[in-house]
Amino acid sequence: MIPSDHFTRFYNEVFKFLERQGEADLERYFLEISHNQEKHILELIQKEGFEGMYKYWSVIRDEENCELDLGYDDRKFELRMHLCPSLTKAKDNDAERWDRYCDHCAGWIGPIMDKTGYHLVYDVIDRDQPQCVMRIFKDEEDAREAEKDVRLLMGWPGHKTTT
Amino acid sequence: MTDPAQTPLRYNEDGNVHLDFHGAVNTTIDFIVSRYGVEAMHEIFRRVGQDVYQDMRRHLMAGDADEVVKHWRHFFDREKGDYDISVGDDEIVLTVRRCPAWHHVEKIAGKVSPNFCDQTTITYAAMAEGTPFAIDTVITGPGSCRQVIRRRT
Repeated sequence: MIPSDHFTRFYNEVFKFLERQGEADLERYFLEISHNQEKHILELIQKEGFEGMYKYWSVIRDEENCELDLGYDDRKFELRMHLCPSLTKAKDNDAERWDRYCDHCAGWIGPIMDKTGYHLVYDVIDRDQPQCVMRIFKDEEDAREAEKDVRLLMGWPGHKTTT
Repeated sequence: MTDPAQTPLRYNEDGNVHLDFHGAVNTTIDFIVSRYGVEAMHEIFRRVGQDVYQDMRRHLMAGDADEVVKHWRHFFDREKGDYDISVGDDEIVLTVRRCPAWHHVEKIAGKVSPNFCDQTTITYAAMAEGTPFAIDTVITGPGSCRQVIRRRT
């Protein structure tokens, strides 16, 4: 087996292959992964909203050994990543890192938020640094306002950005 | 002098494990095979075997298969696989009675890709390609296999 600890380095090779096929191929893959992730998160969000997101990403924080803060209020859910193990491993890699590695997170999370009626604002900040800020809003206007403050705004299939 | 057995693996993760990544591997394999064919999937596994695992490959090139054994022990222990390893004069045999990856996918997805075990067969064969060793994998049943490291004749 390829150990689960090394999934991100395998993922990195898949991204490089798909980028060579074309941007549409990458987007189809993000959608496929998003669909795969639905079995872990969709029902939680549909039934419990922000609390469901909190439960999901609490498990991710623990199992993936992330350094992150989570929180929510009536208006938004926020994940503040201080040390992303996924990008850290993709960089600590004898194979070359795909330079847009960070794009996959919004790539799978965005379609799930679209499906559940929430509004994602994903600030990767810098694709070379293992920190990011993800905010999920109930109200679309709040999301559009929040986008004004981001440093590197991510898009996802069906939701392009100009950043 | 440094004892090679005491030097850490190139990738030496500790802490918790996130077994659901195996589900994403399963999804990825089906996605790649259905759209680009099995050869494309195998090429990706070859890149993993030769580029990601360059360090184990370097050890094999230098005539040292112990690093692969150390890797197997570390990660099968972390994922609580049921396995044993026998080290003989002519071959090293890893017997996996219960593969944690295969069984986790079966548990969360219900169906394991028919190409799921190619990650093992192709990655390790590619890692050993061009070295004094061959690493062959025989799938012995659902979620079980045997991997054998032998010196090439």
